[in-house]
Amino acid sequence: MINVKNITKTYGRKQNAFVAIDNLTFKIPSRTTVAILGKSGSGKSTLMHAMSGLDRPEKGKVIIDGKDILRLKDRAVDAFRANKMSFIFQSFFIQANESCFDNVSLPLEIAKVPRSQRRAKVDAALAAVELSDKRKSRARDLSGGQKQRLAIARAIVNEPEIIFADEPTGNLDSVTGAVVEDFLFKYAHDKGAILIIVTHDPDLAAKCDARIEIQDGTISKMTGLPMEGKKK
Amino acid sequence: MRTTDIIRRAGRSLRQAKTRTLLTSLAIGVGAFTITISLAGGQGGRDYADAIVNSNTDVRELVVTKESEDTGAIAEYNPEAPQVTGPAGASPFGDSIEFLGLSDLDAIAGIDNVTDVTPNYSPAVDYVTTEGEKKYRATVSTFSPGVSLEYAAGGVNNDLADDEIVLSEDYAKALGFSTPAEAVGEVVQIGATKQRTLFSVPQREEFGYTVRGVSSESGLAFRSQGSLLVTQEATKGLYEFVSEGSPNYNRFIVASVRVAEPSQAEETKVTLEEAGYTAQTAADLLGTVNTFINVLLGILLGFGALAVLTSIFGIVNTQYISVLERTQQIGLMKALGMSQADVGKLFTFEAAWIGFLGGAIGAGLAVVGGTIANPYISEALGLGDIFLLIFTPVQVLGVIVGLILISIVAGIMPARKASKLDPIEALRTE
Repeated sequence: MINVKNITKTYGRKQNAFVAIDNLTFKIPSRTTVAILGKSGSGKSTLMHAMSGLDRPEKGKVIIDGKDILRLKDRAVDAFRANKMSFIFQSFFIQANESCFDNVSLPLEIAKVPRSQRRAKVDAALAAVELSDKRKSRARDLSGGQKQRLAIARAIVNEPEIIFADEPTGNLDSVTGAVVEDFLFKYAHDKGAILIIVTHDPDLAAKCDARIEIQDGTISKMTGLPMEGKKK
Repeated sequence: MRTTDIIRRAGRSLRQAKTRTLLTSLAIGVGAFTITISLAGGQGGRDYADAIVNSNTDVRELVVTKESEDTGAIAEYNPEAPQVTGPAGASPFGDSIEFLGLSDLDAIAGIDNVTDVTPNYSPAVDYVTTEGEKKYRATVSTFSPGVSLEYAAGGVNNDLADDEIVLSEDYAKALGFSTPAEAVGEVVQIGATKQRTLFSVPQREEFGYTVRGVSSESGLAFRSQGSLLVTQEATKGLYEFVSEGSPNYNRFIVASVRVAEPSQAEETKVTLEEAGYTAQTAADLLGTVNTFINVLLGILLGFGALAVLTSIFGIVNTQYISVLERTQQIGLMKALGMSQADVGKLFTFEAAWIGFLGGAIGAGLAVVGGTIANPYISEALGLGDIFLLIFTPVQVLGVIVGLILISIVAGIMPARKASKLDPIEALRTE
């Protein structure tokens, strides 16, 4: 479960100050897929960065597994990300020069998984996205859809509890995009993981259990999530 | 991240930028090459000097001269002192040389630990010849049992008799012996002229010696040595014959003093100097030669260090560009939970790899090239079978390790930049 309490993030100072997200509060239960919707500049990426501990909002709490990750030391946050979370990006960010195997192996190396266990895990992740035959291929030789599938393999290899996907299908056509979405949802359902998709695609958002719509740094609409203090 | 994984990833990153890695490494390689060669040259030079001094001098022997009145200061005239100026006794610097008289030799012999005092007789003989051959100009020297010689044929084992001689290969050849072995056992004649005769009638005489051994041409021998060697008694005999009655009879420029134990050489030197003599031990001689070698070595090392210094900027530049190029990769690794320290380590190891590669290439080429060139260098310099470049594993390893450390230092700044990178900024796609 992710418990976000009153987080506020401001960029710049004084006259130039810009409030990216303003006093956001919500809870995401386990086994939930959530879409964070909003136009560019609405603050949805900032929210994702705050929830993953990449960014540190000046106010509020992000409580995951009972720990406020905003109060953890850098090293502890790094370890948290390495073991519990993973990311998928619009532009894949796979290492073009490296083999598919090495790309997928990276999160395991970062999480200090012993070498003996890595092989099986990487192979399983590649099989899950149907890229087993590309194991030794260089990542640059893959097609766009294959690259994003490789990114998914990299994201799921360490069996994270939370996956952040930032516009995962933004660079793909609708057919390959749909394939990529299916792999993501399949993992989330099979493992009971939380999947948080940042997008401005309403169709993709409709496939999620819950939706949070952000406008100018505040939540404009929220569906499918339990409301805090909803005792009226 | 485990260190082994970081090292592997660092190596892989470099392989993906082969040309750049190689070029940067080559810059260090130049430094590594120069340093390795100069260290090998220094080692070889010192070994060579050591060998020369050991095979030409005896560690129990001191070379003694009479201390000349301070150079530069004007000496008081002493009518008692056996002093000669002019062509015969003048040193190349114009100072007059004081001679060691018999009384000096006696005084030196009386010093503690001194077992033997031998003046350098250097009899001025005229020629050497053998039956049916031409006469050749020659210089006779004293055979010193403490000096090691290499023999092409025959040999002396501390038992050279007074009527025996050791010839150099060159003389054996000139005297018509087709092989060195043929000369052994044959008799050669040394001709000498008495300098001062009663009625100024030249008095010539020939002295016969049996060839006991033929010394082979060695890179270790001084040029002046190795021609004709006879026992001390024999040189003395020749000297007496040639010089007796002449003005410089029994006045010697140099005498060699033997002490009982090698360890006493230094102590005796001090005693001799207090008594007004100048003494040089084998160690002194070696020290002089080594100083010269060390200066040359220092100059060469300086060039190597300059090359390394230049290559440091190459590493900084390469690594800096690498960080800029791989901003997204660094951002991703940090997003996936790689710690600042590990990111820093990744780039530090890359720099270390470059240093290792450069060091290995440079030092490797130096060892291979030096080993191939050694025989040619020895031939060109006439060193015989002595090699000038001596590579010791410790030095080669030291050069490589040193360059790895220098590269790591050079990589600190780029590595810091990488570790401080903000992952959010790095992963912005716009």
